[in-house]
Amino acid sequence: MSDRLFETLGRLRVVFDHPGLVGAGVFVFGLVLLLSPLQPEIPGGTQAILQVALLFLVYGLLVTGVNLQYGFTGLVNFGHVAFFAVGAYAAGMLTASDPFAGIGLGLHWTVGLLGAILAAALLGALVGASTLRLRDDFLAIATIATAEIVHDVLIGFESVTGGNVGLLDISQPVYDLANGDADTGLIVTLVLYLGVLLAVFALLTRLTSAAYGDVLRAIRSDELATQALGKSVFSYKMQVFVYGTALAGLAGGLWALALGAISPGMFTIDVTITLYIAMYIGGIGTHRGALLGLFLIVGLRLFTRFLNGVVPLTQTQFASGRLVLIGLILIFIIRFRPQGLLGDAKELGLDS
Amino acid sequence: MSLIQQGIFGLVTGSYIAIAAIGFTLIYGLVNMLNIAYGEYLTIGAYVGFLAADSGLPLVAVLGLGFVATAAIGWTLTKLFFRPVVEKGPIPLLITSVGVGIVVRNGVRLFSGNELRYLDVGQPAVYRFSALGGVFVNTKQLLVVGTALSAFVAVHLLLTRTNVGIAMRAMKDNESLARINGARVMRIRNLVWLLACGLGGLGGVLLGIQTSASPTMGFQQLLVILAAATLGGAGSAYGAVVGAYILGIVIEMSVVLLPAEISQLGTTVAFLVLIAVLLVRPGGITGQEVTKV
Repeated sequence: MSDRLFETLGRLRVVFDHPGLVGAGVFVFGLVLLLSPLQPEIPGGTQAILQVALLFLVYGLLVTGVNLQYGFTGLVNFGHVAFFAVGAYAAGMLTASDPFAGIGLGLHWTVGLLGAILAAALLGALVGASTLRLRDDFLAIATIATAEIVHDVLIGFESVTGGNVGLLDISQPVYDLANGDADTGLIVTLVLYLGVLLAVFALLTRLTSAAYGDVLRAIRSDELATQALGKSVFSYKMQVFVYGTALAGLAGGLWALALGAISPGMFTIDVTITLYIAMYIGGIGTHRGALLGLFLIVGLRLFTRFLNGVVPLTQTQFASGRLVLIGLILIFIIRFRPQGLLGDAKELGLDS
Repeated sequence: MSLIQQGIFGLVTGSYIAIAAIGFTLIYGLVNMLNIAYGEYLTIGAYVGFLAADSGLPLVAVLGLGFVATAAIGWTLTKLFFRPVVEKGPIPLLITSVGVGIVVRNGVRLFSGNELRYLDVGQPAVYRFSALGGVFVNTKQLLVVGTALSAFVAVHLLLTRTNVGIAMRAMKDNESLARINGARVMRIRNLVWLLACGLGGLGGVLLGIQTSASPTMGFQQLLVILAAATLGGAGSAYGAVVGAYILGIVIEMSVVLLPAEISQLGTTVAFLVLIAVLLVRPGGITGQEVTKV
């Protein structure tokens, strides 16, 4: 029984060994599914699972980005959610045709997605240029403050961002192409986004297994030595920071275009915390680890949601209990297995 | 609202931020730790204060109990969770404190629910000054400012006039040197933690009296406390007080000085000030080295 399980898991490795190819295949499959007259139907009761799957795919883009910054290079970006939010709102404001409040230009979704990436990368370049010279913990403060400012601005400038209500009626290209069939729309969205995530995974793996990645790891373990070897540490940090933020912008754009409505409540510091917990569980500085960690934490969320139906507790009590559990997991991972499930303790300098 | 009135609000806001910011910065100076769980000490203090006020204790006892109980709980949390990871460095410590914050915040919610708890300490008396255009202060506000001032004096005397306080400052500058000169390092560390957590609890009781207690109240104040401590120069208790009052007044003044739509962004302005300070003078008002390369 367990042999067969491992065999199946072993086959799954193909996905991670050739993520680019598999990603392209998945993406094409999604397009075919979208353009075919097939209308897959979601069995009742699994809707919740698919919603969580969408969350996983979009957060997957976020966690690989912040892992490139923190896991590989040691940049403590504790405001990653800001760039996610900026991406989502850029896409929203560019494509919404009739938002309830706030700006909606009603442009084509491709413009929206491009705008999302550019806006987040631009903010990333600005924040990076001004704060990346700060020491680790102060970089954390500066990025937390950035995220807080972005969040406050989203709520405060009601005529631009829709305030607490957020933006409604954002373009949903996949649903439109699926002729408004909700089930088909969701399934095709998941397949396409999985393709995007795998492609990004492939790109980042290439990047970090090349000599470029060695420089990043060198910066993480000893900045001064790297500088002494003639590498321009600041420009490497800048590049990595902008790559990560652009990726968060892409994630935000895809999130907005999938849901069709966004609000500030989706972009709190909790998102950043979830990403760091995922990285620590899976293993700092490995792409697979980050995704595995995210999978586990999102899986726990889903599992406990089902459990909620069985246990006689109120919704609030249950949610609190789950978060207490997540907090304890984080504390114990850092204490007893700081390299996480897949991380390399030796490489991270943790075994000394 | 007149500027003077907002200035008074600013002093009140600055006062409880200052009490908490001193505690935050003491911990930072001692173990180089950005304690993300610090806001939870305010929450603990406020709930202890609620329980004390609910059982009819007098105001002084409510404040004292908030301080003592939070100091004890905070110290226990440190013993259980922070001390084992101190050697791993500032970032693992920071992430651990994120975890501890989540546990405490949701632990409180688990037992108390989301509803607001009001600390019943009697109706405040209001004093109006018609000569100043109807400016008013009430006894609750005076209580906050007065308690804060007493706390500053107490901390100042402790740090400058007692052997323990001098040892604290010595350890902040150079722990090995302090140890060689006979400072009992572990005892001092425990005292700093007790004092820092207690101050957080005291700030929480005051905030609870001003508004109300809720599971997320402390966490909501965390970023402002952090901003005040950084603004003053992380690690400096005096800097934290100055930073807190600057932020308190900036936050409340921005309500009148900015156009209506932007005026809700009081705390945003505080963070803009923080980032600007980090860029221009990264060590804060008191000046400290915070860049690496």
